[in-house]
Formats: sequence, C-alpha cells, structure tokens
Amino acid sequence: MDSARNYERPTVFDRMLMPVHRWIWSDAPRRVQKLFRFGETETDGGRDILRAAEVTPDALLRRLYLEHAIDEFRHGVMFRRRAAALLKASSPSFNDGFQGNWLAPGGHGLDDLQVDGESDSNMLAFLHLSEKAAASRFTVYRDVMQHDPSTRAVFEEILHDETFHMNYTLTQLARVEPKRHKRHLWRARISRLWKAYLRMATGLAGILGSILLTIQYFVLLPPFAWLAKRAEQRESPGWTTVSPGRGDSLDRQY
Amino acid sequence: MNILGISAHYHDSAAALVVDGAPVCAVQEERLSRQKGDAAFPLLAIESCLQQAGMEPDELDAVVFYERPMLKFDRVLTCTLRAFPQSWRAFPKAMKNLLGEKVWMRGIISSHLGVPGRKVLFTEHHQAHAATAFLTAPTRRAAIMTADAVGEWATLSVGDGERLSNGSTKIRRFREIRFPHSLGMLYSTFTAYLGFKVNEDEYKVMGLAAYGKPRLVEDVRRLVRHTPDGAFVLDLNYFEFHSTAERSYSSRFVELFGPPRSPYEPIDFNTAEGQRFADCAASVQRVLEDTMVELAQSLHHETGLTDLCLGGGVALNGVANARLLEESGFERIFVPPAPGDAGCAIGAALYCDRIHFGNPDRDIPDHPFWGPSVDGSELARLAREDGHSAAVCEEGALIDQVADDLAAGRIVGWMEGALEFGPRALGHRSILAAPHTSEMRDRLNREIKYREPFRPFAPVVPIEAAGCYFDIPPGGARLARFMSAVFPVRREWRAQLQAITHVDGTARLQVLEPTMAPRLHALLEAYGRRTGIPVLLNTSFNLAGEPIVNRAVEGYSTFLRCKIDVLVAEGTRVMKRTSGMERTRVNMIKEEVA
Repeated sequence: MDSARNYERPTVFDRMLMPVHRWIWSDAPRRVQKLFRFGETETDGGRDILRAAEVTPDALLRRLYLEHAIDEFRHGVMFRRRAAALLKASSPSFNDGFQGNWLAPGGHGLDDLQVDGESDSNMLAFLHLSEKAAASRFTVYRDVMQHDPSTRAVFEEILHDETFHMNYTLTQLARVEPKRHKRHLWRARISRLWKAYLRMATGLAGILGSILLTIQYFVLLPPFAWLAKRAEQRESPGWTTVSPGRGDSLDRQY
Repeated sequence: MNILGISAHYHDSAAALVVDGAPVCAVQEERLSRQKGDAAFPLLAIESCLQQAGMEPDELDAVVFYERPMLKFDRVLTCTLRAFPQSWRAFPKAMKNLLGEKVWMRGIISSHLGVPGRKVLFTEHHQAHAATAFLTAPTRRAAIMTADAVGEWATLSVGDGERLSNGSTKIRRFREIRFPHSLGMLYSTFTAYLGFKVNEDEYKVMGLAAYGKPRLVEDVRRLVRHTPDGAFVLDLNYFEFHSTAERSYSSRFVELFGPPRSPYEPIDFNTAEGQRFADCAASVQRVLEDTMVELAQSLHHETGLTDLCLGGGVALNGVANARLLEESGFERIFVPPAPGDAGCAIGAALYCDRIHFGNPDRDIPDHPFWGPSVDGSELARLAREDGHSAAVCEEGALIDQVADDLAAGRIVGWMEGALEFGPRALGHRSILAAPHTSEMRDRLNREIKYREPFRPFAPVVPIEAAGCYFDIPPGGARLARFMSAVFPVRREWRAQLQAITHVDGTARLQVLEPTMAPRLHALLEAYGRRTGIPVLLNTSFNLAGEPIVNRAVEGYSTFLRCKIDVLVAEGTRVMKRTSGMERTRVNMIKEEVA
C-alpha cells in the first residue's frame, strides 16, 4: 500500500513552514478566525462526502462515506466551539488581522469537486490525498499549539479520525480498483496540483484586478462621482412613478 | 408555447418551465445541487425541468431571465459613485462580481442552452415578483404589492392586475420605491446586527421578535421616515449597505442600538443583553408591519379592490401578512408558495407567456408541488442493502401505520409526490411529529434540527378543523394555505399543542385542503381519530444548513444521521433499527485500518 499509517509525519513542505505556522497560530484573534474557517471547511467537506454517500452504488462505501461525513460535521462543530470559546475569552478590541485567505480555500480542498460526476475510484483517491494532506497539516498545527492545550486537544482528536479516513479510503480504493488504484492516486495528485495552481492563479488575478480597479476608481471616477452626487440631490424622496410601457419590451437588458 | 424562466446569481437560483400557459415544473437549484441557497446558474434545475417535460432546449420558444442585468449594473455603479470615496473598497469587488459573469446573461444563457440570443428575454425584477404573485393566484382582479431588499432599482412596488373576459391579462405597476430606501434592507440590516445570516435567516428575527417587547420602536422609526407622498426613506446615516460590502449598519446605528450580537454567542433571554436583542427584533418587526399596513391601506383606498397579491421576500413575513389581512382593508390576500427570488422564475415565464406573447389566460393549479417526484422503490432498495426493514404498504395500511407511529411519539420523515417549490415544506418533504408537548419541540431542536431553541415549529391542520384550534380571521385560511401567516392558537388548546405554540401564543400554520395533499390530509384525519386532535407538527425535511431533501436517497441519508424514527417515501416505510451485521462490518473496517 502506498502511504497509509504515516499520518503523524508531516510532509517536508509542512515541516519547512513550521515557523510560519507557529507565528500564525501564536496570535489569538488569528487563531479564532482560522478555527472558524476550518469549521466551515470541515462542514463543507462533510456535505460533499455526504453527497458521495448518496450517489454511490456501492452499499459498503455508502456506509463508510456516511460515517466519514458524520465525522467531518463533528469536526466542524469542534472547531467552531473551540473558536467560540477563544472568542469569548478574548478582549473586546478583537481585530481580525491579516488572514491571507485569498490564496487558497484550505482544509480538504473538496470545494472544486463535482461529486455527482465522479466515479468511486476517483472519489476515493481524491479523498485519500485530501485526508493525507490534512493529517500532515494538522500534525504541524498540533505540534505548534503547545501554548494552547485545549486547541491542541481538538487537533489531536481530529487527527485520530483523519487516520481512519486516510486509511479506509486507501483500502477501499484497492478493493474497488485492485489493479489500477495507484494510477488513480497519481491522477488525483496531478489534479490536486492543477487545482492548487488554479487557486493560486485565480488569487493573484483577483489581487491584480483589485489593484487596477482601485487605481481606476481614484483616477477616472471622481468627475462621474461628482455628477452622480449632483443628480442624487435633484431626486425627490418617496415614490417614483413607473411610466406606462416602461417594462413592456422584454428584449432589453436595461 | 414552451417558455423557460430562470432566476439566478444572487440567492436561491431556480428554473421553471411553462408549457402552453401552465407550469409543468419548477425547482430550486439548491434542491438538486444540495448546496443551500445555491445562487449558481441553475443548470441542474433547467435540466430537471426539460427532462420532466421530455423536451430539448431547441424546443423552447423563449428563455426569460428574471431581471435586467444592465439596469442592475447601472444601480450598482451609480451607488458606488454616489458613495465616493467611501466606496473604494466595495468598487473592485462589485465590478469583478458583475463584470465577471452577471451582466452577460444573454450570452451565458445562449451558450449554456444552445438557444439563439433573440430567444433570451428579460423582465424587470419586480415585474417578475408581481407576475408570480398575481398570475398564480386564483383571482380575476387584484391589487399587487411587491417588496424585497432590492431588484434593479426598485425595492417596493404597487400596482394591479386583471384577467379580462377576452382572455388577455394586464399587470400594471403604478409606482415604486427605489434603492437604497428598502424595507427588505432595513430588515436584513437588523438580521446582520442580530448575528444572523443575511438573505437566509430573516425568519429567525421574526421568531426572536416574539420574545421581545417593541420598546425600541421610536429608535427604529428614526431610521425609517415617512415622506409626504406616503412612501418612506431610510436615514442613510445609520446604514452602510449602500456604500460598503463589509457591513450593512453604521457606527451611528451601533450608538443607537448598542453593540451587535456575536453570531457565535447563544441568545440568553435571562440576560439584559439577550433581552435587548429580542427587543430590537420586536421593534423592527413592528415598524415593518406598520409600514406595510400603511402602504397596503393606501393601495386599498386607491384601487378599491378586495384582493391583494403580495410578492417579494418580505411576503415571507407571516406576522406582517396576518396584520395586513386584519388591518389593510383587503378581504383576501394571496401569497405564492415561493414569493422570493426563486419564485421569480415562474413569474418571469408566466409574464412572458401572458403579457409579452399575449397568450390567453389559463388557470394555474393552486399548489406548490412543481418539483421532481420521489421514488419509494429507491428507498426500499437502500434500506434493504443496509439491513433496515422496509415495508411496502397499501395506501390505507400505510396511513394507519404512520398515524400509529405518530401517536406513539415517533418522529416521521414524510416524502410523497413532487417536491415543493419555495422555502416551505408543505407536506411532500416534511418531518412530522405529535404537536402536543414541549418535550417534542425540544427533542426536535436538540436531536434532529440542531437549531436555536427560540425558533417555533409549524403545525398542519385540515381546513375543516382549523377554526377549532386556531383563531383564523376571514380570509385567513387562504393565507395559511402555503404557511404564509401567523395566527393565534386558541387558548383552550395551547396546553395540548405546546410543541407548535410559539411563546406569544401564535403558530405559523398550514391549513390543508384535501385536494392539495390528499395523503397528508388522510393522515391528519387518521391521527385525529387516534388522539382527538387532527393537528401535526410539520417542519421541513432537512438538517441545519442543508436544503430540503429531494430524492429518497437524500431523505434516507438524513434519516440515518439524526433521530428520525420512521421514514416514508410514497408507499415504502422504513423503521430505524441498528443492524448488527452491518455495523460490525463497518466497525471491522475501522479497526483494521485505524
């Protein structure tokens, strides 16, 4: 088997990023935001896995997916509860701070998956890699959370479940596709890389677009803004009469 | 003539297909994609509609979008310019959002469906709301009022509609109130302030209002001023929704009403803070009701008509609807089962058929069941594969068995026939339970719906028994047909209807005519024979954060994940029990791989 049972060993990349993660998680407000976001991601992932349970023709997979989905929903609740507890304990001058959310949706990355159109083997390969990545990342998070035992305990418990998820997906993939399961894993790896690239590219394009539009806003728009404000002053408050025939033509988009 | 109506891209996308003047299918995208409030272009819903009619896209005579994208773009751009320079953060977001996809609807529809651009048509947003409200209502002539957060520019409009004896139809809009002055935005602002999700949780504010006192009404009135012509304006110093994307209320709003509620903190009515939030909800609810009543009274005086058709998201406010019936002067009020944006898909298609193409009027079946049908044999197969006992029963035996289940305190997931169109479960995708004890309400909240304890559950009652248990004014039964109004539970029955009686003694009931859902009606009668009270608790068949179930497999997976005791799909009944064999198999796998 390819990669089961090594969940507590983070990838080299995650180990390299450990100082960054330590810095990110050291700040309580940022920790709260990240936990809330993980809560959302786990819940969203749970919904996708639930959908997989609903569409699979394989009765055993249906049960396993359902257990998996229930775990993900529970993880979502655990993250949200811990975040809410931290939020309650935090000072009123709570500041969102830097999030870096533009870059990637994070977590299991199930957001791009069209569950209805996927075969069981693709789904299992995708889930296996997602769970493996999450387990690697969560191991790092657990390790950098020395200063916050309660949050560390949350990661610890979730990691236990991730082990089951990571391993059952691999064994079931081998059952469903005994001869070609490795090929499916490689295809899923390439697909994840492609999606990561798309996320990165979309994020960068979004930032560039925002910068250009903001420049336009301050350079081109002021005269139009002045005109719009003048026009607004001339408008009378209250009812506006709808002129007969205004909406008659359905061909127009304006 | 085959006309497809589409609503999309803001919240709750939907598609509806009208064939020869009558709807054949209408379904929200979320019910098929399983993403709650799915706003994406409704490809699945369109496919479902066409499949149900056995039709290909090239057989469509027209595809109608429910608003005019360029007019909407005009509003967003104008408002951004008016708010210069405070709108600098909102501007890039708004432009990327609109220019990325939303303004190119003709091309998008054309490319998705492969229909020529000339077949793609556009109604105005409130025109579509008005058409949904009037053209689906069994009335010849009625005043029409539509109110929501915002369409293109309009936020509220009044007019009238008439079905003429020569078969033609007229819908006129007299006047409108324009953005940013909006009752929907006022309510949504309080929804956000109270820590709930905008465009989704407005009904929670309505439920919360019953726990409060409207002691802040005068403060809310400072936000909403009357104009000499009988309309209203919002004092924009208290709002930010028109200038930023981050927050809908301003610092001045917070100065007036106090700090907003954290969405993650439960509301505790025993604390001053919890009571303040309830009072805020009660106050904005009162101001909304008063304003709607004044506008409707004025429309009644102007038109002299007896019927009012209400549309737009604000028409989902059942407490306000009940007051409109009592105080506006209209004798009958019609609210469609989907008065919000999803319903515009059906309204746009019907408007196109009746007004644009001038086709003769046709009666529309007066029910909300326009979606895909459930397959009981699918449930039987799934249950057997998982080791649950599935019984396929005759109609009478099934009704008796389920009535016995309910009388024994079991909670039943009930699926039959076509899926409802609109946000309410009206008896085809419902969770049913005995309505008698508060323990049942708490159990449903705790073990099944996982939701805030302050939210009430709705009852369903046969029309012939409704007056016995509920204080229903003249015209109330019509308004309660699609659960559109809140009426008092009669005092003498409140102790026996605890699970559905809200804290203020009211309930958002569904009054059921036998012709609309005969099996559910028969079930209510059978339950009444056993318990003496033919009333059931009826809540939507979904879990928190999920859309209402559509297919049997979705009902089944919901059934397995919560403490529903019995699941019924058409003639198949499944009782929950733990199958030792199957659990062992899953557990063995768990042990092996963990």
